[in-house]
Amino acid sequence: MEIEVLEKVDMNMRLLIRGADVPFINALRRTVITEVPCMAIDEVVIIENSSVLQDETIAHRLGLIPLKTDLDGYNLPEECPCKSEFGCNLCRVSLTLDVESKEGTRTVYSGEFISENPDIVPVSDKIPIVKLAKEQKLKLEAYARLGKGKKHAKWQPVSMCTYKFLPQIRIDSKRCDACGKCVEVCSRKVLVKAGDRIEIRDLMPCTLCQDCVDVCPQNPPAVDVSWDENTFILNLESAGALPPERIMSEAVKILDKQLKEFVRQIKVKKSEKS
Amino acid sequence: MIIPVRCFTCGKLIGDKWEEFARRVKTGEEAGRVLDSLEIKRYCCRRMLLAHVEITDEILRFYEEAEKRKEARNYYY
Repeated sequence: MEIEVLEKVDMNMRLLIRGADVPFINALRRTVITEVPCMAIDEVVIIENSSVLQDETIAHRLGLIPLKTDLDGYNLPEECPCKSEFGCNLCRVSLTLDVESKEGTRTVYSGEFISENPDIVPVSDKIPIVKLAKEQKLKLEAYARLGKGKKHAKWQPVSMCTYKFLPQIRIDSKRCDACGKCVEVCSRKVLVKAGDRIEIRDLMPCTLCQDCVDVCPQNPPAVDVSWDENTFILNLESAGALPPERIMSEAVKILDKQLKEFVRQIKVKKSEKS
Repeated sequence: MIIPVRCFTCGKLIGDKWEEFARRVKTGEEAGRVLDSLEIKRYCCRRMLLAHVEITDEILRFYEEAEKRKEARNYYY
């Protein structure tokens, strides 16, 4: 298997993976979404709330705020040696918020959280949490924990993880009369007219929609769109908690661990029979 | 009410982009171009900002008016 990084722009990553198959890539995708842990606020103790939003609404909003995660420094609550329902400082981070509007209406932002651990802070300082009118108060303590996407979407480290086959477009230059209809119809602008020929401008955005094949006046069409079943373009967009390359390496590690456990279980079952 | 923290469909963080979006659209910029420059690509996230109405501001007006009345009362007595 060969992996090539096509694009890596802050929270986005696009990989070209050769020599893999659908079950494997899909397993990887599902592992990224459901099994890679990240940090999110899980429990909120509201001490005072005289804002226009209810306690539950505020707690829900807080839960959805992505937090910068330190995977090596914290344990999953169910795997933590403290075995406590409440948590210890190895599996829980407390964040506090104490705001009051003294002068007119004001917005409370995620940047106003005071975290126990300065590394575990909201990804962005500018997320509005609530708006307070004069003399309204909000005082609360929130506990962030590691969790997995299969339990709640707030623990998903990605906002997008998709894959598609690598497109292969062939233009039969003998039959093509460069009418340009396929260039016009393509919404992703994959094809381009170069003199009396149709050429491929950029193959990657192609969605395999086959519009160019359908619009071709030649019979059979001069354009042929197919795909390579062993080559994939994997597109990953992190929600901000972890960098995309870390999410990927963590997913591979988790998948590997699960497969090893699966093999071990099979062996145990076999030995029970004999 | 107030801008949601994340996109309902995909989970991308959009809450922090609302204020810039609203400000720039108010100054007369085309909404689609603002969304492009904020790098909001998918239509699920785009509709979050495009279709949002900030109702909290309307509710808070009642509190602001009440505050003004209170100040006026203090002024006369």
